[in-house]
Amino acid sequence: MRTAFLNELLILLREHKDIFVITADMGFSIFEEVQKEFPEQFLNTGVTEQSSIGIATGLALSGYTVYFYAQAPFATMRCFEQVRLDVAYQNINVKIIGTASGFSSNQLGVSHFSMEDIALMRLLPNLTIFSPGDPLESAWATKAAYKIPGPVYIRITKNGNPIIHDTKKTFEIGKGIEIAKGSDFTLLVSGSLLPMAKQVIDNLANKKIVGTLISLPVVKPIDKEIILKAAKETRYLFTLEEHSIIGGLGSAVAEILAESDSSVFFRRFGVPDKFTSITGSPQYLLDYNGLSQEKIVKKIIGYLS
Amino acid sequence: MGVLDSAIRRCQINMETESQFNQLREDARRCRKTVLSMIVNGNASHIASAYSCVELLVYLYKKFLKINPINPSDPDRDRFILSKGWGVSALYVMLAEKGFFPKELLEEYCKDGSKMIGIATRNGIPGIEATTGSMGHGLPIAVGMALAGKLQKKNYRVVVIISDGECDEGSTWEAILQAGNYKLDNLTVIVDYNKWQSFGKVEDILDLKPFADKWEAFKWSAKEIDGHNFEEIHSAFDSLPFKTNKPSVIIAHTVKGKGVSVFENRNEWHYKTPKEKEIEIANKEL
Repeated sequence: MRTAFLNELLILLREHKDIFVITADMGFSIFEEVQKEFPEQFLNTGVTEQSSIGIATGLALSGYTVYFYAQAPFATMRCFEQVRLDVAYQNINVKIIGTASGFSSNQLGVSHFSMEDIALMRLLPNLTIFSPGDPLESAWATKAAYKIPGPVYIRITKNGNPIIHDTKKTFEIGKGIEIAKGSDFTLLVSGSLLPMAKQVIDNLANKKIVGTLISLPVVKPIDKEIILKAAKETRYLFTLEEHSIIGGLGSAVAEILAESDSSVFFRRFGVPDKFTSITGSPQYLLDYNGLSQEKIVKKIIGYLS
Repeated sequence: MGVLDSAIRRCQINMETESQFNQLREDARRCRKTVLSMIVNGNASHIASAYSCVELLVYLYKKFLKINPINPSDPDRDRFILSKGWGVSALYVMLAEKGFFPKELLEEYCKDGSKMIGIATRNGIPGIEATTGSMGHGLPIAVGMALAGKLQKKNYRVVVIISDGECDEGSTWEAILQAGNYKLDNLTVIVDYNKWQSFGKVEDILDLKPFADKWEAFKWSAKEIDGHNFEEIHSAFDSLPFKTNKPSVIIAHTVKGKGVSVFENRNEWHYKTPKEKEIEIANKEL
């Protein structure tokens, strides 16, 4: 997912002289090419997330479209107040890339986990939020962000995400993408757990429980229409995300359902409201938090029976 | 960074005659008087903060900044950021006098439904370059603007007034470190060093001394002046940048509430709206 971001960024930099890339000292074995090829459009501002957002703001107010790159917890939480006032309020062209999101930095503990970033970014007016689920969604988000006249947050993980979508698929801002169609239930997924969601759908299909799978790479503005349509067409609706169950996709969908006439059965799969104080592989940490293909399949079967 | 070669633009301000300084003093007096009526009228606060930077703002807007109210977003204009955004009442007066908006708008200051907010806010009021007032925001934004000027090979200057209280903020020092490293000699910071912060005296809360030495250690060039003395302000601005390849800082020693005896060095005027008694004294002294 990160390579897809980088490749798209390089294409954008070659095409547009008004793009400027700032990194808060992140980018080892990622940004070397950018640094070498575009010395006038790249700056490592050091470990200074707060002033870096200010510098990005000053550049954006002077005509640049700025991509600001840092690890997700630091890109959103360390400088939240700068993001709120400088970027979101002034509605300027700063695109914040939160890398190593969720449990990507799996061995590094709570300091480096980001389970809160989407919740925080969702609070801010004017901001468009992408949470891509595969390299195609990641490349698309990177490119789409340039065209959006305003602030953007893109939450990406490290590499190793398989391609889920058909390479010919086209995406649209604010539109969910239907990946599988079935009448027994709908699973809405956003971000890194897209492959897990696909496995859940395939596994249940083998058990003759056929579900609809919808990917929502844009968390804000969210595709309200596709959510309400799913709530009408299937009796069970679930969300899945590598984020706190508070404030992310699950909350966004819950807010829509609560103010609709829908009586759909609705449950959220996400990281429970507690800190994860252990280390382990990303799969281990997800499973520890109830997020594995097997556990979700079992729960869905339980809900449906 | 090869782009950071210096672009020196000497000020060419002709300030030979005493009458010009007298005119500036008169402008400052008028500004304080207008600020008083705005703050009383809007039942607002921060009069002492506005008063401590009046001479600095008057000099910038009457003599220094190359800006054009007809084309407020001219890419070649000088940029000014009032990082201590709570002193905005005095800035509004300068912008109105410069013709950025009608003077009648000043009467809306802090009134219901008005865009004339009590903190500098980029909400459509012409001439306001950035939303500030949350402390430690203005200088990093100014660094970004100065960097853009270097990258785009433009000759504009970026000037920012920060408060001494803002020098508590980590983001301010991050930006000081960055500007020094980037050799931004198109950037000038004025510290409105009135020695007071929100809840007491700077030296009792977080002492900044040795202040100029700190900036110099971060690769800036510093000068200390009396921030109410136009001759000293002029002399500092006329020698910008103090050193090629270094950002300049003017540490302006000021008096909080300057100009009215009952406001001077009394921290309550960070908060209170002047009432009858103070208004009478202020009107007499101004």
